Amino acid sequence: MKAIFTIALRELRGMFHSPLAWSLLAVLFAICAYMFNAGVLTYQIQMVEYQSYGMRGGLPLTERTIAPMLGNAAVLLLLLMPLLSMRLIAEEKRQGTWPALACSPLSPMTIILGKYTGLLLFLAIAIGLLAIPPLTLYSFANPDTGQFLAGLLGLFLTAAAFGAVGLAASSATENPNVAAVISFGVLLMLWILSWMGNASGGVVDKMLAYFSLLNHYQNFLSGIISSADLSYFLLLSAAGLLFARQRLMAERIQG
Amino acid sequence: MTETMIHLSGVSRSFGSVKALDQIHLEVRRGEVMGFLGPNGAGKTTTMRILAGLLAPTEGSVAVAGVDVLDHPVEARARIGFLPENPPIYGEMTVYEYLGYLATLRRVPGVGLKQAVERAMERCGLTSVRDRLLRNLSKGFKQRAGIAQAIVHSPDVVILDEPTVGLDPIQIREIRALIRELGGEHSVLLSTHILPEVRMTCQRVAVIHQGRIVADDTLDALESRAHGSTMYYLRWRQPPVIETLRQIPGVGSVTPKEEGWLIRAESPDDPLPELVRLSAAEGWDLRELTQAGGSLEEIFLQLTTREERPDENEESKA
Repeated sequence: MKAIFTIALRELRGMFHSPLAWSLLAVLFAICAYMFNAGVLTYQIQMVEYQSYGMRGGLPLTERTIAPMLGNAAVLLLLLMPLLSMRLIAEEKRQGTWPALACSPLSPMTIILGKYTGLLLFLAIAIGLLAIPPLTLYSFANPDTGQFLAGLLGLFLTAAAFGAVGLAASSATENPNVAAVISFGVLLMLWILSWMGNASGGVVDKMLAYFSLLNHYQNFLSGIISSADLSYFLLLSAAGLLFARQRLMAERIQG
Repeated sequence: MTETMIHLSGVSRSFGSVKALDQIHLEVRRGEVMGFLGPNGAGKTTTMRILAGLLAPTEGSVAVAGVDVLDHPVEARARIGFLPENPPIYGEMTVYEYLGYLATLRRVPGVGLKQAVERAMERCGLTSVRDRLLRNLSKGFKQRAGIAQAIVHSPDVVILDEPTVGLDPIQIREIRALIRELGGEHSVLLSTHILPEVRMTCQRVAVIHQGRIVADDTLDALESRAHGSTMYYLRWRQPPVIETLRQIPGVGSVTPKEEGWLIRAESPDDPLPELVRLSAAEGWDLRELTQAGGSLEEIFLQLTTREERPDENEESKA
């Protein structure tokens, strides 16, 4: 347990020692803040139009400002997470530091959990940053806090699943770039599976729809936290970690 | 003092159809520094990676300090310090952070951590650079940091894969002194293909060739085995024809080397007095006479391929 946090903290520090993590946070925050602003402005215009027709009540604020921003943040993270996760294991092997870890009295799972925890800590920081723009809404409006928090949780779980897939890819190769390409490909495929999944409603389509990341994330954005969606993300993350563990075990045998 | 700290028994390892190790047996006792010699590609690194738990053997058993590496990999690794060919250095950490990090992972308890790191830095001569980033250090310091991480948790067994490669002569001398010193507390397996290094640091030597251990003995025993097949290097201004040399009793083989001749002496007769007498009597005009190579080098060449003769091994011994 202590080893996991020791590795995680070093990993986190390592990320912030490279310009990658900083630039990633900057880009993520700038784009999301811009989208959020655009969303709020559009919402204002739409509200004025809506009320000019003499309609009563209003448009759902959270649905139209926070949820789209978080949805777009997930797409951004789909692009950016592979760049962050690609180094986790592959870079250590390329730099020759891997033996220092692999020869320490740690099980493969401890190393993987340490690396993954480091990534999750970074994600927590990133998502904490992304919560700032929506928080400004509270000064002049009444967003739906429940939906907002569900969205943040969904974003965290989605990005965590991205990271687990990225970690698996990073364990499968010694070249971080290859790891990034593989994880990006897998994640994008998972993301767009629902495109076919909604076609005809057959068994295969239903399965594709189930495996689609997008569908599960959408529920969180609408404020629905269901055990089905939770278990989907947890299972996907666990699958990534177990794959990485198998890779590390097999490596000792294959050489 | 006879406790076995490294025990390899019947270890084989194949990579696909290539058999890298073939039935290796090797034992290193407590407090011993064992030289692990062999030409490049003979299986030194593979053996060391198996010992360090990075690679599983195809067959055979491996134990470190009495712990089976295959059955209890994590426990076994707690007793090992390993320096791979390239030191495993995190460039963005300082020497102190780096050693502290690895010491924590290797179960050095929190209270003794600072002390363990300080001691490792002191032994490896790193105290003056403790707060420098590893990436900014010279190759010699990086190598020392690599050794320091291998000993920071006071493991029973220290495995060093060619620790002096790429260092300058002063650094090499320091590292060798350190390795000698390590022998007291730890058992050390030292791979190298630099023979003088073995003579300076090791009590025992194992020679590996094409995946097999071809010799495993004390340095003295190996050298006495080599006795009687000493090599001489002679250079004359008016050299005799090669047949004349071959007829001198005690001369085993004669091979030209540079401007002179390399003469292998065969037991029981030492041809040297006769060579010197003839040189004077026949007016060959002897200009140079040295005992070529160490006898260890001779043994090494006998045990392994003859065409492989790296430059480092050409050091003459007067």
